[in-house]
Amino acid sequence: MPFTDHSDIYAAVHEKGINTVVRHLMRQRPSLFNYATPFFHQYPKLFCNPIEAAPTVLQAGNPLFTEVEPLPIYGAPIPIGVNFCLQLTDAEIDFHPGNIVRLPAELGKLASQHLAIRLKACVGLDCPPTEWIERMLPAIERLLVEQQKLAIGEVKEQTGSPRLSTGAVSDRGAAELAGPEARELFNSRSIVIRDDLGKLSVPARGIVVLPTRELTCFCLELFAVAHFEWGSVPGSTQPWLKTRLDGLEIVDLAPTPMENAIECYLSTVLRLGILPQVIVPMEKLIFDVTSVLEEQGLSVSQSITLQPAEVPADVPDNPAIEQDELRAFVRLKITGGS
Amino acid sequence: MADMTLAISEATFQKSFDTMIKNIRWEAQDSTDWGAFSAGYHVKGHLQGGSIDLRADNTLRVDEVDIRWDMLEFTLGLDIPKICVGGGCIDLPWPLPDLCLPEFCLFKADPDVSITVDLSPFVAQEVSFEGGIATRYYDASQPPPAGFDPCALLRDVLVNNSIIDPFPANNQWHVYIIPGTVDIDLFDFADIVGDLIENALTAAVTALIPGGWVRDLLLAIIGSVADLIRWVLDIPDEIDEWLSDLFNVSFGLLDLLVQVVLTFFGVCVPVYRIDDPFPVMDAKTTTALRLDQAPVTLVPVALPVRNLNVAITDLELVLQADIGA
Repeated sequence: MPFTDHSDIYAAVHEKGINTVVRHLMRQRPSLFNYATPFFHQYPKLFCNPIEAAPTVLQAGNPLFTEVEPLPIYGAPIPIGVNFCLQLTDAEIDFHPGNIVRLPAELGKLASQHLAIRLKACVGLDCPPTEWIERMLPAIERLLVEQQKLAIGEVKEQTGSPRLSTGAVSDRGAAELAGPEARELFNSRSIVIRDDLGKLSVPARGIVVLPTRELTCFCLELFAVAHFEWGSVPGSTQPWLKTRLDGLEIVDLAPTPMENAIECYLSTVLRLGILPQVIVPMEKLIFDVTSVLEEQGLSVSQSITLQPAEVPADVPDNPAIEQDELRAFVRLKITGGS
Repeated sequence: MADMTLAISEATFQKSFDTMIKNIRWEAQDSTDWGAFSAGYHVKGHLQGGSIDLRADNTLRVDEVDIRWDMLEFTLGLDIPKICVGGGCIDLPWPLPDLCLPEFCLFKADPDVSITVDLSPFVAQEVSFEGGIATRYYDASQPPPAGFDPCALLRDVLVNNSIIDPFPANNQWHVYIIPGTVDIDLFDFADIVGDLIENALTAAVTALIPGGWVRDLLLAIIGSVADLIRWVLDIPDEIDEWLSDLFNVSFGLLDLLVQVVLTFFGVCVPVYRIDDPFPVMDAKTTTALRLDQAPVTLVPVALPVRNLNVAITDLELVLQADIGA
């Protein structure tokens, strides 16, 4: 059967092709899929999943991840953070019939004209060693007393030590207060930490990053089912192409009420926050060939446009999700002229 | 199943072809003066008729496109040197006035003689051709063929004259149009005669009958008779084209010569090139990747293209490609 039996022009992309493109994107722009604190420049082996980058990326010295601030320790008298990383390690799409993404039982079997998406994300979070916490604790307590931030309220004790405040000066003061171990922690301009991994120096940006030996990693898999549909938008006279989320499931998250709550929140974010922003009006899907020809210096007396084949007059679904492909059917319309 | 498929129906080709035929018009004029002689032209033309047919043997055929001349004027001029008689004055002594003789000049204009001939009613061409589309992979790492390479010679000439870009240092997919048979009728006898008869009869009827249904009826009959004459006179050419198509060779010295030249170009010069890998995201400089806002220039994202293929069936043209791993 010819491809164009229901339209003038037919275009299709196979799920295998889309997934291959995603893999290329992950290898050639890894910074779009990996987020971590600058610490990981020195210790890339601590990533939950090794980052596979294309040789061109490595040769160009492109960053393998996007730098983010350390995860803050809320309540501490000075800015303290812990290293972490977030990696999107897998992304797959599966057009009906489902044969790539094995959907969890909660989402059932992939229905006709639907697509499934599987995303796998891993998070690695530093858990500071107890001995470091105990070593820092005197300085933290001293700072809290100085700053009068204790739960019991104001304390009138005089320490006789220089008054401390946050910032570079307070770091030096804390070092004087807490002895040589803390001196290693709080250096005035940069934070120097000696641990089992060796000596590392992280430029100070007003935040103290706790030393990291290893990360605690966990991965979550997210499955989603969606479809396309044509619909109206109040106040608009033209049809709109919309992406609709049919279901979302995070696997192996417990307890179940928490899983349900997170899934519900993510679904709501997608349905009300993200997917409404990607609806497409019909006018954007009409390609004006006449103006393109005129730009090329060829003036035509007719109006020539490429526009989606009509549903259901021309085809039952457009775009259609079938036989592992996303398919679009296009009509060539020539009007006017003699 | 291919990763990407694009198909264009034969009806779309026909609609696009008809639109193109309706809208392609040209006009040019120029003149040159060599002193005693001058020459000029003013031509105006358009395309008419024709059809396009996709065929099951992976070829397409463009059939009987008429080249029509709305104006095909050629002008020759002759500038004869000016010849003057008379003139001049005779100084007479005072008090008599000077005596001036009248001057008469011949051949004062430039040109003095001009002949303009409009050949448009007597000249019409018709072109038919068929050909296929082929894709080939250009591996930049492969050395050029040993010995004399006529294709490389042709390409060098075209590159040196800035007609095409040189082959790059990276791999590419090349799309070629491989011409088959060509039929060019420099004088489309059937249409010339048909047009002359139709124009003459139409003018006569219009002069005799200013308007009304009788005139319209007669004009319709004249049109049909003219079409019949065109068809009958075109039978030898139809047979010629049919035989050319059957044996896949152009008959006639001009047709054969054009076919050879076009085949040479078709085999050697790609009409379209696709880089492999194909860039989908440009290189980008950003300050968003580092906390210290240091600019980073990201390399472009490119996809390897595999198995690019163009196939023609009797119903559609199908382009398919895979994305390499």
